[in-house]
Amino acid sequence: MLPQNLGTETNIKLPFSFILFSLIALVASQILLLANGHMMTDGTFRIPEIWSAAHLLILGWALMVAMGAMYQLVPVAFLTKIWNEKFGFVQFFITAAGITSFSAMLYFAPQNAVIPGVITLIGIFMFLFQMLMTLRTQANPNILTAFVGTALVCLFLTIFLGITMIYSMKTGFLGEHYQAIFKSHLLLGLTGWFTLLIFGFSYKMVPMFSLAHGFPMVQSRYVYGIYVSGLVLTIISFYSDSSILLKNGFFLLFAGFSIFSWHIRIIVKKRLKKKLDKPFSFALSAIGLGNVIHAAAFMVLLSSKFASLIGPLLYCYILLWIVLSIVGYLYKIVPFLWWTYKYSKEIGKAKVPSLKEMMNEKLIVPVLSVFIGSVLVVFLALVLKTTILFNLGQFVLSVAMLIIASSIFSVLKK
Amino acid sequence: MNLEEKIFEELKSVYDPELGINVVDLGLIYSVGITEENDVSITMTLTTPGCPLHNSITSGVRYCVEGIEEVNKVDVNLVWQPAWSPDKMTEDGRRALGR
Repeated sequence: MLPQNLGTETNIKLPFSFILFSLIALVASQILLLANGHMMTDGTFRIPEIWSAAHLLILGWALMVAMGAMYQLVPVAFLTKIWNEKFGFVQFFITAAGITSFSAMLYFAPQNAVIPGVITLIGIFMFLFQMLMTLRTQANPNILTAFVGTALVCLFLTIFLGITMIYSMKTGFLGEHYQAIFKSHLLLGLTGWFTLLIFGFSYKMVPMFSLAHGFPMVQSRYVYGIYVSGLVLTIISFYSDSSILLKNGFFLLFAGFSIFSWHIRIIVKKRLKKKLDKPFSFALSAIGLGNVIHAAAFMVLLSSKFASLIGPLLYCYILLWIVLSIVGYLYKIVPFLWWTYKYSKEIGKAKVPSLKEMMNEKLIVPVLSVFIGSVLVVFLALVLKTTILFNLGQFVLSVAMLIIASSIFSVLKK
Repeated sequence: MNLEEKIFEELKSVYDPELGINVVDLGLIYSVGITEENDVSITMTLTTPGCPLHNSITSGVRYCVEGIEEVNKVDVNLVWQPAWSPDKMTEDGRRALGR
């Protein structure tokens, strides 16, 4: 028997800083959307208030929460310490300052958003550097390393293409490829960065939260190979304008996601924990929803309705796959971080609460069900182009997001 | 009740906060060694390598055993081999998981 004291835990203040910031950004973005929602239905969504809300949501919430979760999960999944925690705190302050000033500038003076944008970029590049240095020290790289490593490469490419788009808009550089660059930016950001990241960490978190043992991992190689091939093929199709390549790319993305879905089902079937926690069940249902959206995107591509339906489907993909997965896992990660901060020194000395007791589980089923329902209402409104339905769905969705954020905050009172 | 039995009994108060099952019923305690000076050496594992609760649970085990009057020093040894498997759980542990 080899004694091991891995000592890979992160100072919980680091992931916590990112997650708390992200929740504040989520609340701010929803308040902005609620206050300016009518503009979106009028079709005038390219206004400073909406830019500000969108960047608060995507950068302030989704990206910051992903960074915080990675500071927590990378040591867990890869059995390696974060390269430099002090650097992590500096990275947090720079990124948080960058995103806050960037969103504020977009709201008040968009013409002055360049410098805050550069500060945000520095923060993101510092994060990429931190992760590169951390993953380099992993003793035995595995398939999870491939998923997370590729996701980080996709994040880098997403930012790179974003900068290229801005440069192209100003100078006309690569103007003939602007649409292809924009599509690649979206694809790499959503399916490359977020999806591959969720795939990779799901392979650690699903067995951990369901206490699954004795499951095969061979399928994960096919998931990686097929999904990444789909990404590459789809990007090539954007630049070559080949519809056959696009169809094959979309099919491979759908096939890769389906194998992932099937593999997770196998893992969950091997679980020892009969009754799964509610937030975790919702994170699992997000996989099913993501799979349906991939199938729908492929079928729509074969039809003549692609141009009108891909936007609403992308909206569903962001909300029902990416956001629902993140929220489901946040309900597990935040109680854990707070529990560790407050009770880890009490365990063995006094009675301590379980992680489940750190949150109000009764609230989770109704609020996440309303979340899913309201996203579907907005989806329908976008397809049918119905303003009243859109307003109704977006209002309920924003309220649901605010309740989600406040219920996660309420963990801090336990 | 001898000291080893007493230690196992006390360890039943240390819970895995994620699963809500104590470390004895989960089958995490592999062995308890006691010297003539009542120095205690505990060899234990966790359900998964890299478990984020690893410091909390091993510290909890140490604090708990240090609280027993007869015990002198406590050493907790965390091992991954042999790996934890469900057959290491007690009947009570399995029942708590709904099996």
